[in-house]
Amino acid sequence: MSISAPFDAIEVLDAAPRARWLAVIVDFSRRRPLGAIGAVVVVLMLLVAVSATVISPYDPLTVDFAAMLAPPNAAHWLGTDAYGRDVLSRIIYGSRTALIVGFGAALFGASAGAVLGVGSAYFGGRIDLVLQRFMDIFISFPLIILALAMVAILGNTLPNLITAITIPMIPRCALVIRSSALSVREMPYVDAARAAGFSHARIILRHMLPNVMAPYLIMLTAFLGQAILLEASLSFLGLGVQEPTAAWGLMLSGAAVEFAETAPWMGLFPGLAISLAVFAFNLFGDSLRDALDPKLRTL
Amino acid sequence: MWQFILKRFLLMIPTLLGVAAIIFLLLRVIPGDVVEAKYMSGEGQGMSNQVMAEERAKLGLDKPVWQQFGLWVWRLLHLDLGVSMWTGSPITEEIKLRFALSLQVALMATVIATVLAIPLGIIAALKQDTWVDYAVRIFSIAGLAMPSFWLGILMILSFLIIFKWVPPMVYTPFWVDPWQNMVQLIWPALAVGYRYSAVATRMTRSSMLEVLREDYIRTARAKGLWLKLILVRHALKNAMLPVVTVIGLEFAFLLGGLVVTEQVFNLNGLGLLFVQAIARRDYTLTQALVLLVASVFIFVNFVMDIMYAWLDPRIRHG
Repeated sequence: MSISAPFDAIEVLDAAPRARWLAVIVDFSRRRPLGAIGAVVVVLMLLVAVSATVISPYDPLTVDFAAMLAPPNAAHWLGTDAYGRDVLSRIIYGSRTALIVGFGAALFGASAGAVLGVGSAYFGGRIDLVLQRFMDIFISFPLIILALAMVAILGNTLPNLITAITIPMIPRCALVIRSSALSVREMPYVDAARAAGFSHARIILRHMLPNVMAPYLIMLTAFLGQAILLEASLSFLGLGVQEPTAAWGLMLSGAAVEFAETAPWMGLFPGLAISLAVFAFNLFGDSLRDALDPKLRTL
Repeated sequence: MWQFILKRFLLMIPTLLGVAAIIFLLLRVIPGDVVEAKYMSGEGQGMSNQVMAEERAKLGLDKPVWQQFGLWVWRLLHLDLGVSMWTGSPITEEIKLRFALSLQVALMATVIATVLAIPLGIIAALKQDTWVDYAVRIFSIAGLAMPSFWLGILMILSFLIIFKWVPPMVYTPFWVDPWQNMVQLIWPALAVGYRYSAVATRMTRSSMLEVLREDYIRTARAKGLWLKLILVRHALKNAMLPVVTVIGLEFAFLLGGLVVTEQVFNLNGLGLLFVQAIARRDYTLTQALVLLVASVFIFVNFVMDIMYAWLDPRIRHG
């Protein structure tokens, strides 16, 4: 499968380090135009989130009853909500919530899953068996149901929300990484490390984890979009981020449906923002998977 | 083969037991209980502690946790789900009507997804890296990206603005008025069916691509076999297994995972029941619901594993 890999490491190894990165990026976008588009949108979104204070035209929390439910116009490009808050500004600030939860949950989930998966493959035997059963059990819960239960237990602050979304992701990632790690364990360099008397932790962290980087990255990008969707769903149900914080799912809940007829922009634009974000992450993640390991199936 | 089936069947028991134990514990970790939830919601605030303790005793909540768990599992083994802690009526009664609704939506969504996904996935695989493939991939990635509940909102919005019409919001059972029933349920089924079809399309495409590269396909082509015959007889047959798996698993999740879409379409299904049950700390009902959904999932997994093993002897001897 490495024959058709889009950026062959060997090809570009001789170049200077900086040129090498550039070459990788150019090569990736030439062979995977869809992935490149996704990556550009992701970068744009990150920029928007970082510079939210500068670029958003209004404060996302300022209530302005004079401009209540205003349709899109020159002053409020995407209209205002039932409290006269600017929808565009709330979408811009909402990208912060979405990205923090998305990156937070995906990073923790994929990393914890990777450590569990590699550990399970490395130790094998009874430990592997027990861990596998645990994963089976947790996977049998629908994602949203487990997240709902976790939110109910932890309460809905932002860090708790991230934890609640992370937990159902861990076993899904661990399963995939374990199967990759099983073949890594048989590699001579792992035997060598063991013969050299390195500790288990060192072998797992220094020798095995770097070699399951490809499935790790793939799972990470696949979870990013899912985490954003899950956060939106929870916030929509009123179990995620709380008013008045700006969050896309929250903007869609309650008022958006209530005022569907009089103010359709309230239901339209936040949903577009969610879709675009998840779309971009999936586009990029898909191409990354095709590039790194086409046999691996994510969602 | 029988040995494999038996082994695989027995493996379902600890998984189910694990699910039961975890949901049981999770619920008891959530702050508050059903008695508190009931009396906080207005029905006689400021209840004395003594009355609350009596209520708890009635529900058996005063016993040690391990005893409660043992009792619950013991009843489960006798196929007795018990009564809802909130309403006091049998859980089978609570679930029955809602289950019919959720099952119908899930089945309709499955039909929509399958009809869309399989042809699209095959075409995309055959025309890999052409504009057809790109279009299908964009269509399916968009399906994964759009939250179904937002799709539902969009549907209601556009009906309202264009036709000045809203889908009926009151549930009519199929056997009472099939037309009315379909007019209501086709929209949620479409909203979740799109996402569902996206998952299945992607699986069909990648699985087809993999099979098309196999040696036996090349052999078939080399001996000059008709392309259509190769596709139907050799490629499709081998490529469908992972697709059927993913359709089965998604179906299991649809049964209980429609939480948000049900809210949008005002459907009183299992998802809504679950959210209510958690909010009310109705332990028995929540446990029953989770166990129901998880059993369907575990059972689908079991059937799939057997199918794989039946088709590929390497698995059952491995």
